[in-house]
Amino acid sequence: MKPLTSGIIKEALEQGCFALLETEAKDICKEYGIPTTKQRIAKSTIEALEISQDIGFPVVLKIVSPDIIHKTETGGVILDVKNTKEVAESFAKILANVKKSRPEARIVGVMVQEAAPKSTEVIVGAFEDPNFGSTIMFGLGGTYVEVLEDVVYRVAPITKKEAEDMVREIKAYPILSGYRGGKADISTVIDILLKVSELVTDFPEIREIDLNPIMVYEKGAKVVDARIFLSK
Amino acid sequence: MQGPKSLEPFFDPSAVAVIGVSNDPTKIGSIIFGNFLRPGFRGNVYPVNPKHKSVLGKKCYTSVKGISRSVDLAVIAVPAQAVIQVVEDCVEKGVKGVIIISGGFKETGPEGAEREEELKKIVAESNIRIIGPNCLGVYNPSSMVDTFFLPEEKAGRPKIGFISFVSQSGAFALSTMDWMAYQGVGISKCISYGNGCDVNEVDLIRYLADDPATKVIVIYTEGITDGRKFMEEARNTIIKKPILVVKAGKTKKGSVAALSHTGTMAGSDKIYEAAFKQSGVIRAEGFQDLFDMANTLSLQPPAPGNRILVITNGGGAGVMIVDACEICGLEVPELPSHVQRKLKEQFPPHFSTKNPIDLTGDAYDLGFGFALDEAFLRYDGVDGAIICLLLQVPKLTVKVADIIADASFKSHKPIVACCMGGEYTANVARDIEKRGGPVFPTPKRAVDAIWSLVKYGENLKRGDKR
Repeated sequence: MKPLTSGIIKEALEQGCFALLETEAKDICKEYGIPTTKQRIAKSTIEALEISQDIGFPVVLKIVSPDIIHKTETGGVILDVKNTKEVAESFAKILANVKKSRPEARIVGVMVQEAAPKSTEVIVGAFEDPNFGSTIMFGLGGTYVEVLEDVVYRVAPITKKEAEDMVREIKAYPILSGYRGGKADISTVIDILLKVSELVTDFPEIREIDLNPIMVYEKGAKVVDARIFLSK
Repeated sequence: MQGPKSLEPFFDPSAVAVIGVSNDPTKIGSIIFGNFLRPGFRGNVYPVNPKHKSVLGKKCYTSVKGISRSVDLAVIAVPAQAVIQVVEDCVEKGVKGVIIISGGFKETGPEGAEREEELKKIVAESNIRIIGPNCLGVYNPSSMVDTFFLPEEKAGRPKIGFISFVSQSGAFALSTMDWMAYQGVGISKCISYGNGCDVNEVDLIRYLADDPATKVIVIYTEGITDGRKFMEEARNTIIKKPILVVKAGKTKKGSVAALSHTGTMAGSDKIYEAAFKQSGVIRAEGFQDLFDMANTLSLQPPAPGNRILVITNGGGAGVMIVDACEICGLEVPELPSHVQRKLKEQFPPHFSTKNPIDLTGDAYDLGFGFALDEAFLRYDGVDGAIICLLLQVPKLTVKVADIIADASFKSHKPIVACCMGGEYTANVARDIEKRGGPVFPTPKRAVDAIWSLVKYGENLKRGDKR
């Protein structure tokens, strides 16, 4: 059993929190060996400046609040922040936006995150099916999932063979496997599927996981946005 | 498997009580009672109805408790309000299995649901097993247990065979049985379990997995109650015999409560699809598909791989078969030169020997025999064969049926036939079928059938590894 994950989940449940913070979700990913972007929470402009310089530009700033699930809709996300001046401006702007759109929301801080370079996007998720329990989902990001519903499922826990089947089963597989040269690191994707399966099997308290998007590179991958919801 | 909670009494009881029999022969209880009076049922049968002293010329009991000898199975066809009392009497009497035909339970609303909860309580607190309520029950032609309340002249009963059929829906079970009887397809056991308050698809898979008379298990379901148990039981079973499933109803009941995009698919049919794949269950798309595959799986061995040999005397039909194979992931590999050489030595030069082997309009009975011998029985580079016969040509006769049956008998690999044509063709096809070779009227159906044998072979191997 993973102590960090166990601690985060226990604490959240004790506080009656069912949506984990993005930073917590990514810490859980890290403990399970799922590669994510670099990020830290800043509580002040100074901290934000320090973190952004540590991580390197460009960065992304996102609001961190247990009450806000849809960050973009509240004006809580600013992408492609290129320098210290923009960090200071964006930090203030996010806080102002959120204060206006969601005045009652509790604010933990602002997350400064590495801006992951664009690449092939995939989604890995997990959820509680009413008949089969924990189920793993996989699809290619963006239009493929939303418009074409090009996604596959397997009931957890999954074997390596089943994870491989999942990746190969989506119709968009040729895009992933290197249509016109641009190859994606499929073995890392398979590894992420197996680790998500391990995570939901270890923690039945988890009701939903949404790693969306995950940027897949020629070598390696990075979870850019992560959400974890717990059962009430 | 004769433990206290065994399902054996449902399938081979030595004494049966039918509760709710009356002098009106069109009543459900009376039809079922009549079924047990037919020749073939070897046990005793007792009618029960508090209102009658005798029915249909037999002594009638006021309660199951009044029967002096022991009773294994009780079939209940009384109004819903009376069911609980009758089941309690059965527990007291020591009846092992009860089939509740009566409706009026959870399918009707809260009052019925409460009644069904009471049944569950009785099951939990005693050794009794219940099939139903709201079902047709059991048909087993080898012991002549038949609780289907439809008169035989309108609803045919299939002969003894190797397929066992488990159905949530009574109507689907009934129409399927009638159709199977009409088609001459045999059945081992048919179970309509209705609301499944106790015995459900998982219990029945477990029972049929160990039933030597069942070679293929066919399931019709609209939704599985415990998906995990189903998968576990299916995984244990498919290493012994294949499971085919038809799943109807594409619900999205989970989607309302989903928090993220990922969650919107909870409860969807796609999860069933995944679970069936993972547990090695073969899913059929519809009725015809289901029985083509069930019949084939009960008659032919699993294929050791996905390489298919096609022997035909119609070039076009051969191409259609190759297309259909390709679409469902079956290979049609070219035969190696040493095999082709042997075929060429025997055949005129215009016969194609690659794969498909095409004997053209000059095809003759022994030509099919020779091709089967050299390119299939003696050659292990192919795992199954489709023989596509156009029987309209001058030199092909009914004798080709013997040749195919003979090859099928000698082979540990599967052979299916495709015969396209009219009346003469249909007669020869029936001849092949009588000898245990599945025959289909179209290339696509023949390919789907052999696909199920390939899938079954794959599942057997996967079962080993898990």
